[in-house]
Amino acid sequence: MKIKVLQRDLSEHLPQKSGDPTPTHRNLNPLMHPFARARERVRALNAAKMEKMFARPFVASLEGHADQVEVLARKPDSLNVFTSASADGEIIVHDLPQRTQLLRIPNAHKNAVTGLTFADANRVLSCGIDKFVRIWDISTLDQVQTSIELDEEDGARASTSKAARPEPLATFAGKAAFNTIDHHYEDALFATGSNCVQIWDEEKSAAISNITFASATETVKSIRFNASEPSVLASVGTDRSFTLYDIRTGKAERRIIMQASFSMQANALSWSPTFPTSILLASEDHNLYTYDIRSLASPSQIYKGHVAAVMSCDWSPTGTEFVSGGWDRTVQIWKEGMGHSPDVYHSKRMQRVLSTIYTADARFVLSGSDDGNVRLWKARASDRLGVMDTREKAAMEYRDSLKARWKADKEVGKVLRSHHVPKPVYKAAKLKNTMLDARRVKEERRRAHTRAGASKPKAARRSAVIVEQA
Amino acid sequence: MDALVAKADALRPVSQKRPRSSSKRRKSTSDPSSSKNVDISEDKTAQSVLPHTRLPASLRAKGKEVDRTGRAYNHIGDKRLRAHLASQSLQNVRAKGLVDDLQDLLVPDEQENAGLRAEHELERTWRVTQDEIVKTVGGQAASGRREWKLDGGTYRSRYTRNGRHLAIVGKNGHVATFDWQSGTLHSEIQLRETCRDITFLQDHSMYAVAQSKHVYIYDQNGVELHRLASHVEPTRLEFLPYHWLLVSVGMPGYLKYQDTSTGQMLVEHRTKLGACHTMAQNPHNAVIHLGHQNGTVTLWTPNMPQPAVRLLAHMGPVSSLAVDPSHAGGRYMATSGADGRVKIWDCRNWKGCIREWSARGGPAELDFSARGHLGVASGGTVNVYGPQALFTPHTPPVQPPLYLTHPITTRPIASARFAPFTDSLLLGHAAGLSSILVPGSGEPQYDSREADPFEGRRARREREVRGLLDKVPADMITLDPEFVGAVAAEGTGVAEKEEEMGVAKSQRTPFARLPRAERLRAQGKADETEVQQSESSDDEEEDEGGDVDVDGKKEVLKKRKHKMRGRETALKKYLKKKRKNVVDPRTEALRAKLEAQRKARVLKEKKAAGAEEGKLSVLDRFRR
Repeated sequence: MKIKVLQRDLSEHLPQKSGDPTPTHRNLNPLMHPFARARERVRALNAAKMEKMFARPFVASLEGHADQVEVLARKPDSLNVFTSASADGEIIVHDLPQRTQLLRIPNAHKNAVTGLTFADANRVLSCGIDKFVRIWDISTLDQVQTSIELDEEDGARASTSKAARPEPLATFAGKAAFNTIDHHYEDALFATGSNCVQIWDEEKSAAISNITFASATETVKSIRFNASEPSVLASVGTDRSFTLYDIRTGKAERRIIMQASFSMQANALSWSPTFPTSILLASEDHNLYTYDIRSLASPSQIYKGHVAAVMSCDWSPTGTEFVSGGWDRTVQIWKEGMGHSPDVYHSKRMQRVLSTIYTADARFVLSGSDDGNVRLWKARASDRLGVMDTREKAAMEYRDSLKARWKADKEVGKVLRSHHVPKPVYKAAKLKNTMLDARRVKEERRRAHTRAGASKPKAARRSAVIVEQA
Repeated sequence: MDALVAKADALRPVSQKRPRSSSKRRKSTSDPSSSKNVDISEDKTAQSVLPHTRLPASLRAKGKEVDRTGRAYNHIGDKRLRAHLASQSLQNVRAKGLVDDLQDLLVPDEQENAGLRAEHELERTWRVTQDEIVKTVGGQAASGRREWKLDGGTYRSRYTRNGRHLAIVGKNGHVATFDWQSGTLHSEIQLRETCRDITFLQDHSMYAVAQSKHVYIYDQNGVELHRLASHVEPTRLEFLPYHWLLVSVGMPGYLKYQDTSTGQMLVEHRTKLGACHTMAQNPHNAVIHLGHQNGTVTLWTPNMPQPAVRLLAHMGPVSSLAVDPSHAGGRYMATSGADGRVKIWDCRNWKGCIREWSARGGPAELDFSARGHLGVASGGTVNVYGPQALFTPHTPPVQPPLYLTHPITTRPIASARFAPFTDSLLLGHAAGLSSILVPGSGEPQYDSREADPFEGRRARREREVRGLLDKVPADMITLDPEFVGAVAAEGTGVAEKEEEMGVAKSQRTPFARLPRAERLRAQGKADETEVQQSESSDDEEEDEGGDVDVDGKKEVLKKRKHKMRGRETALKKYLKKKRKNVVDPRTEALRAKLEAQRKARVLKEKKAAGAEEGKLSVLDRFRR
């Protein structure tokens, strides 16, 4: 007879010497882990709730502007330097980590500054409704900074001393108020949008060409060069048009007119940094649209979430996310390809958001609003700033994968999807939802009472574009 | 502009359809000189990377078995989703391989060599006495054979989940908790009143005692922490560790659930079956089994005021209950009654027990070990039966082959408990407690994340906090614990329910307001392949059990009937008219034609549903 009984020696299960981790044993037999799935679900639910609990996206407010912040621009190849321009004609260069102003250019333009773009690391182009384009040198940052600090010590605001304004490197005069400006990625060229689209050479005082679409009667709202193919230019205008130009041929290549019934006029546009033909439009009809310019017949995705006009948009440098700012006083962070449930940022004091921009490391978002503040937000609301130890990082990754795995669960999904939004936004969204729903149901009923097959439902994507011109 | 388009086309063509690369592949195989085949079996770097990635086709070794898990998702259009699903299924396959390795390498050795094994035909394991076992094994394992002579009445006992600590209670009020392996006494108190049961709470730091009038909770040092006055005259206690629920049943016949993390009395169920003296929990689904005076056994969950199952198990009071923790998550239950019978039940099919026999010497006390051994303590003996014979259906009422037996002279035996992670069985009786060795009954491999016999103080505290964070809501206790995270069954959608309830067409939920899944189904765009997949995989699972449910499941999943009345074609009418008791070649031809038409239609429907065998679907990731 063979007899074997379990022998457990305590010494085998203790650490070899003090300070060693206690030895652990694993048994993967599912019978050893009752309620494994239910417990995992509870953990996922807790992870989802923790994400919402730790969602504190607001980092800092960069003050300094006396009027609404119209436009923001990121310095190329830099993580910390940004410029902002306001409706009172002031341009400020910010340093993000220090949260200081590196440079102030008061009265850069007589009225509102409407466009701002970097020519290279040291030169900024600005345009305004005073019909001027100016180039500024921001390389002498340190001197100006010290002078501002001295001013502030004296208790006087630097902007009040008009003598502190540096002289522009160059000034270009236009015939109409400029709405937007963008600099060519390689050459010494830039494009402006007013009632027409013009190409300028930095060396010449007048515009070198006017490449407006022949039949256009629009006011150009926004204009952007493609980073991948530098001669390609895109613009959006008030006549609900989106136009593509090639500055080498010097003419408009393609144009689409978007639907009229929802006043589908775009306010801003942004080329995807990773996918060369993908472009994002921020529209007056509360939606954002991505188009693949190879097939302009319909947008590749509609992003629904704002409850008022979307005023600005910007891609994350990774091309997987983008940010939008709206007339509804919210900043929203979207995932590319997911047309719903964005992350919504808001604050009690933030007014209409007119400009938004991602930082170059894709971790932060800047928004400029009507109240004259530039706000710094985290790109992931529950992100933890600062140094994390390995265990904490592992725990966070585990929680993330739990959320991804259980997002289809009713309760977990509900927590993950829900956002606290200000009451007016919530009410407006509810009302909008009711109206759209009623419209859909009405359409369905109408179809039920027409002859079978007489009218087919049309996807929203298919009805966005009225006409495509080439 | 053209350059831009060309650049984008290189990344992703405008038509999102994937190019069928079959022709390309064929070409590459026919022309071996062009493809650079690297033999990675030699390359150590590639070998180290291999378990964590998918190799590109060009690097795969020729003639070897390539990984085909991803192929099953070829029909899914979305490239990103397809890649995600393929990598997930690859991970699953690898994880399963690792578990299988573990099972192959570790478990058989322990399972086959564990316990008592006869070396030739005439040897019988039950002839081995405890003295022989102790003499043979020696060492620490011999400490499993103990005799505690105590005079507190008949004793009941309970181990902590890690098997390290033991709580005992005598009928006359002697309560003690101790670390039974090292012999450290935690607390010893004389309560001087009738005590009927004892249980540890989450760990050895607290325990509950069913005293004559109420349930009391004591801490590790024997200090009374709570008097649970709402538990009246309790007879039996159970603690559900993952839900943090203390369950009691008593003389008035009320089953009470108390949440020990919040102190809230969760729910009280009136059993309406009088005083209850028998209770057991199913550790895999937290269902409470009660045995009653009239011979019924009832199964309870907190969220139902009636028993989930009611079963007449014995002719006379039920004296003991035990649920098998070893087989497929509490599949088997053993009951014993005052009629002297012991019965084994299959918890999925209550139409009669799968095995019964009579235990000599009156009502028996039962307990299952972690490996499925059943200890039956009745009269003056303890019999232990092995798991092999116990769960195979056997109609004649004869006792299954005995594994081990041990005489105990003191009667009655009031309790039997197998120690977790140890090969010992503790028996409580009128003269104290005796622990006997049952080789092969304990689980050899413990999991430190669930229960660790050797955990220290910090690990215990950590586990307590984690346990509280992972507390499963009590309303999730059901007979089938696998419903969590499962895909909703067919027929539970809004539209289907309305159709079933006969809501008028004009009153039904409009299409636009239906959930997305149902809209897709209505449009015929839903991916239904997973239904067939689940059916086939379930069959595989159940096959080895040889059970009844296979048919039942198929019935649930069978195609929904199309209710269509008055469908009578001219051809059918003609046939009806012509139907006579003669073999008419024309009729036969027509019949054949009809049959062919029907077959063609069925085939067409099947094709339309896109039901090809072996295809996985989007929803498959919820299956495990």
